[in-house]
Amino acid sequence: MEQFIYYLKVSLKGIKRAPLPYALTIFILSVGLGVFFANATFYYQLNSDPLPHKSDKLFFPMINLVPYQCTTDCRTPRVLSYSNVQKLSQSGIPTQAAAMYSADGYLRVNADQPPLPVSIRLTQRDFFTMFEVPLLHGSIWPDNSARLEVILTRASAEKLFGRTEVIGETLLLDDRNVTVSAVLDSWQMLPRLYDANNRNHLTDADDIYLPLETGYDMNYLSNSQSSTFDDTDYRQLSTQGRTGALHQLQYWVQLDTPAQQQAYRQFMHNLVMDEKAAGRHPSEPNNQLVAMQDIVSYFGGDSSDIKAFALVTLLFLLVCLFNASHLSLNRYLSNQYEFSLRRALGASRSQLQLQMLVDVLLMASFTIAGALLTGYAGIKLMNQLLPANRLFSDWDLPLLLGLLAIAVVCSYLVTLYPSLRASFGTLNQQLKE
Amino acid sequence: MIKLSNLSKIFRTELIETHALREVNLQVNEGEFAALTGPSGSGKSTLLNILGTLEHFDSGDYLLDGQSVKGLSDAALSKLRNEKIGFIFQSFNLIKDFSIYDNIELPLRYRGFNAAERKRRIEQALELVGLHARRDYLPGQLSGGQQQRVAIARAIAGEPRILLADEPTGNLDSLMARQVMELLEKINQQGCTILMVTHDPDQARRAGRHIQIIDGQLHDSTLYEPLAAHSA
Repeated sequence: MEQFIYYLKVSLKGIKRAPLPYALTIFILSVGLGVFFANATFYYQLNSDPLPHKSDKLFFPMINLVPYQCTTDCRTPRVLSYSNVQKLSQSGIPTQAAAMYSADGYLRVNADQPPLPVSIRLTQRDFFTMFEVPLLHGSIWPDNSARLEVILTRASAEKLFGRTEVIGETLLLDDRNVTVSAVLDSWQMLPRLYDANNRNHLTDADDIYLPLETGYDMNYLSNSQSSTFDDTDYRQLSTQGRTGALHQLQYWVQLDTPAQQQAYRQFMHNLVMDEKAAGRHPSEPNNQLVAMQDIVSYFGGDSSDIKAFALVTLLFLLVCLFNASHLSLNRYLSNQYEFSLRRALGASRSQLQLQMLVDVLLMASFTIAGALLTGYAGIKLMNQLLPANRLFSDWDLPLLLGLLAIAVVCSYLVTLYPSLRASFGTLNQQLKE
Repeated sequence: MIKLSNLSKIFRTELIETHALREVNLQVNEGEFAALTGPSGSGKSTLLNILGTLEHFDSGDYLLDGQSVKGLSDAALSKLRNEKIGFIFQSFNLIKDFSIYDNIELPLRYRGFNAAERKRRIEQALELVGLHARRDYLPGQLSGGQQQRVAIARAIAGEPRILLADEPTGNLDSLMARQVMELLEKINQQGCTILMVTHDPDQARRAGRHIQIIDGQLHDSTLYEPLAAHSA
C-alpha cells in the first residue's frame, strides 16, 4: 500500500509537470469514449435479450392460410386470423400459448372523470407466465374465456386511483364497466419482442390487459396491423371477426424441447396440407416458426441507424486513441530522463511498469469520469434526435462494468506504448542530456 | 573488485564504426580511489557507463565482485546497480520537484527497504554530506555544490561497494569542487571503492591511482601519492 501511494505521488507529480498535455489527453479520451459509451448503450440495449433463458423456446408461428391465391407477394402474413389461431391452438403440443393484439381505448374511474387514453393488450392468460410478467396484486384470469375483467399496470393503477391496491374496483373502459382483477408490478420488457412483427418492440408496454375474447366482443380492432382477405366487415368484429379472414392476431407458443419444436412444425405442416386438401389453402405452403431470439432480424426490425452510428463512433474512438497516444508519447518522452535515472539507480523495467500501471489507473479514473459525463450528455442528445429509442438509454450494471473495462483498456493502450518507449531508452544518453 | 579482460566497445551507425574501447584490461581493487582521465572522446565516460552496467560491451568480460555481468538479465543488472554501485553525475541528476529526502530515497525504494530503514540510511547520508537541515528543500533551492552533495548522499545511502563518479566537480566552482573532493575522500576512507572521471589533473592527483585513457586504450596506470601526503 505504501508503495502504491508512492507511485500515486510520482504520477501526480508527473501530471503537475505538464498539466495541459495531460488534460488534453484526458479530454480527447473522454470525448472518444463518451461518444462510444452513448452509442454502445443504445446498441447493447437494443440488441439485448430480455428473456435469455427462454428466448430460444418461445416461437412465433405463421401460416399463409388465407382464402386468396397469391401471385406476386407470397410472404406468409405477419398476423393470423382468429380461426387460424383456433386451429393452431388445437395441437396440445406447446407448454404455453397465447394469442394477442393491441388496441386503443379510453379509461376512467367513473363517467364524471375525463377519459384517459390507454393502450390495451388483448391477450390470453398464458401471456403473463410466458413473458414472465410480475404480479403485484390479484390474480390472472383463470381461463381464456371472455370476462369484463381488466389487469392494470402499476403505473395505470397509480394514475387512475393514486394507489395499487385496487382489486375489485370498477372502471369504465370506453362504454363498458370492467372490474380490476389484478395489478402488475413494474415491468418493462426491453425490447418488447412479442410485438416485433409489428415493429413495435422499441415502444412502451401497454397500459392495461383485457381478455382476447372480450376484446373481440367489444369490437376492438388492432391498432397495429389488420388485413382482411375476404369481405369480412372489420367494424363488426364481435360478429364476423371470429369467422372471417380478418388477420390481426399475434400468436406465441412455448416449445421447451427440440422434440416439441419438431412436433409443432409437423403439426403446422399437417394442418396446412389438410386445409389445402379441403380447398381452403390455395397458396403454396410457407409455414414459419420463428424463435423469439431471431424475431427482430426476421422481420427486418434491426436498428440500422444505430449500427451505422456504432461503426462511426468506433472509428472516432480509434482516432481519439491515436491522438491521445501521441500526446501521451510526447509527455513520456519529456520524462524519459527520469525513467533513465530511476533505472540507473536500480529500478528494473518491471518496477517501472508498476509505476506505469498506477499512471494507467489514474488516467482511467479521470477518463471514466469524463467519459461518463460525455456519454450521459450524448445519450440525452440522441434521445432528442432519435426519440423512438429513448427506452434503451439506461445503464445497467453489466453495461456499466463493460464500459468501465473499455475505459481502463483504452487508458492502458494510450499509456503502454509511450511508457515502454520511455523505459527502453538508452540510459547513459538520457542521463548525459 | 573490478576486473576487465580484453573489453571492447564499438559504436555503430549505418556509415561508420567507432571503436570506443579497445581490448581494455583493468583491475581495480577494493578500497581504491582511482581517477580516470583522458581527452574528450577518448572513451572514459563509455568505460564508466560499462562499469556501471548502463551500457553493454561487445567483447571481453567484466567481473564485478567476482561475478561476470555478461549475459545478466535486465532485472539482475538493475539489482546489481542498486545494491553494489552508486552513481554521481556531472549534472547531479536530481529530480527537480522531489525534495532532497525523496531524491535520496529513490534507490532505497527499489532496494525494498522498509520506511524506517530508509529513514535511517537517508539521515545517515545527509549527516555525512552536511545537509541534514535541508532535507525538505527542493534541489532548485540549493547551490550547485550542495546539489552535488545531495547526489553523493543518494549514491552512498545504499552503502554500495563502488562509487562511479562522472566529472562530479565539472559544474562546480573551485571552492565547491574542493568540498566535493574532500567528501569523496572521506567516503573512500570509509572503505568505498571510487572510480572518478575527471579532466582536472589536480583532482586526479588527489586520487590514489590515476588511469589514463586515450583512443579507447589504457595507456598507463600510475600510482600517485595522495595530495594530502604531498602537502605534508
